[in-house]
Amino acid sequence: MHAIQTENLTKIFTVNQKDPGLRGAVKALFRPSRKQVLAVDRVSLSVEPGEIVGYIGVNGAGKSTTIKMLTGVLMPTSGSVRVLGRDPHRQRVANAREIGVVFGQRTQLWWDLALIESLNLIAGIYDIPPKRYRELLERFSEMLELKELLKTPIRNMSLGQKMRSELAAALIHEPKVLFLDEPTIGLDLIVKERIRQFIREHNQQYGTTVILTTHDLGDIEELCQRVMIIDKGGMIYDGPLATIRQRFGRERTLTFEVHPRHLGDLRQHAERMQLPQGARVEAQNGGSSGGRLVVRFDRTLTSASQVAASLMGQVEVVDFSLSEPDLASIVRQIYGGALENGNGKEGKV
Amino acid sequence: MLRYARLYWLFLIQRLKILMEYRLNFFIGAFSFLAMQSVGLVGVWAIMRQVPSLNGWSFNELLFIYGLITLAKSMNHMFADNLWTLGQSYIRTGGFDRFMVRPINPLFHLLADRFCHDGIGELVVGGVLVGYTSRALGIPWTLANFLYLLLAVLTGSVIFVALNLFTATSAFWIVESVPVTLVVFNTHEFAYYPLTMYHRFIQVAMTWLIPYGFASFYPASYLLGREVGVMAWVGTLVAGVLLLLAYQVWKFGLQHYSSTGS
Repeated sequence: MHAIQTENLTKIFTVNQKDPGLRGAVKALFRPSRKQVLAVDRVSLSVEPGEIVGYIGVNGAGKSTTIKMLTGVLMPTSGSVRVLGRDPHRQRVANAREIGVVFGQRTQLWWDLALIESLNLIAGIYDIPPKRYRELLERFSEMLELKELLKTPIRNMSLGQKMRSELAAALIHEPKVLFLDEPTIGLDLIVKERIRQFIREHNQQYGTTVILTTHDLGDIEELCQRVMIIDKGGMIYDGPLATIRQRFGRERTLTFEVHPRHLGDLRQHAERMQLPQGARVEAQNGGSSGGRLVVRFDRTLTSASQVAASLMGQVEVVDFSLSEPDLASIVRQIYGGALENGNGKEGKV
Repeated sequence: MLRYARLYWLFLIQRLKILMEYRLNFFIGAFSFLAMQSVGLVGVWAIMRQVPSLNGWSFNELLFIYGLITLAKSMNHMFADNLWTLGQSYIRTGGFDRFMVRPINPLFHLLADRFCHDGIGELVVGGVLVGYTSRALGIPWTLANFLYLLLAVLTGSVIFVALNLFTATSAFWIVESVPVTLVVFNTHEFAYYPLTMYHRFIQVAMTWLIPYGFASFYPASYLLGREVGVMAWVGTLVAGVLLLLAYQVWKFGLQHYSSTGS
């Protein structure tokens, strides 16, 4: 049996639209104009027990809506969904016993209660046998370093402490499937690292299936062998992470801050720039402190130093920085595969 | 059922701990509703100073009605107050998602999440009024009468909760459900007085449409030995049906829950 399976899963929201201003508000009151928004569009996927799958997409791509249908929060508009063989919305209670959910942006703990008291309540909600509860509490306190925090109210915790507490709360009933919606959002690197390690260990020890949505490619790289990418509600990629890395991870971005004296003719510079094979000016803009040139290049065709050297020979550079590909650029490239030929053609974003 | 009772107890204990932490807030809340009730009573008193009896009802009899509905209202206030905040605090913020991923009834979770101490003041006022006036009016506290009183308060509470549940459910569509709830809720003020003093239309409305009459006038009449016939008992049935209907509407609303972005 698949841990998760969906077929043509679709969610359409009806939203009320309002023109700006008071006039729009009054108009909306008497003649509401409604718009149908296709949030998730015929998504079919299946996940095997024990997998850690990264589910990624830019803001508004439909990630959270999918997760909400998988967890039973939302009823799908059409299509089918099965989690451990059950319909998560119709069999909401039975499904809820078997899944754990962390919504990274909002807490499932009680703001004013000490962590241990929140956990006690959750143990009551899930009907965890007292002996088992004590064992698990002991283990999670150890693994997530929560011992000192048990008596602290959630409201007094730092973001990282809160997230560790959230993980304990989501796993204390030993769910078979764990949904993590942006579990590392806003955390610093060290805390991120610790949380990733915990998820990995938990997955290995218990064989828990994990669905992870994130913006952070670091989360994906360290945890997932498989990635699903969703954009505008539809699945645009489902496959091994290695392929993504090979196909799309070759691109790097260099951002140069040029001397203010180039400001006047920045555009001409950008257009006439001679760059090594595989590199191109992606964008240029002028600001009060100077101008900026964004150059994208293919790591397999040229190198950062070649690009930088070539550019510095043509304009005076004040500062520059190198960045790894982000999710938005990968999504762009997946589409771009058809749209751009990619051999040094200049384009503006 | 037993599991839910145990769970409610767990929630209640935690809630009381929080309330004790904000001790001042606790007393202000409980006391302010005591004060508000007193103001309402001064109104009744001011009227009765001018006219010794209203439509054949004495001052003490009016206070008895007032006490009965206040008891019912206090139950709703203590145990179902979170219905008011469903839109603002749970749906708008997305906090309701959490209820949906837990293996208990979301409505139970919502109600158990916040015991409201403000209702304690009303409980005290209602209890004192009913105790005092029943004595002054010579209502014999036989076991039958006592059980009837409990049933009447339960019936009244269910009517309050059911009506609030109807209106609160609108939050699944319109999010901000407080204005709608307020409009319906405020009609309970008609029921502070004997229904017979109103126009026929209001009498019918307060009996069959928004049946707050069963939280005060009808049971009070019965206990005071006035002729109400079968209406003394119909209320419980009406309250039960109302609650069932409201719960169906709630379940329908759950399917329309569309959560919030992100």
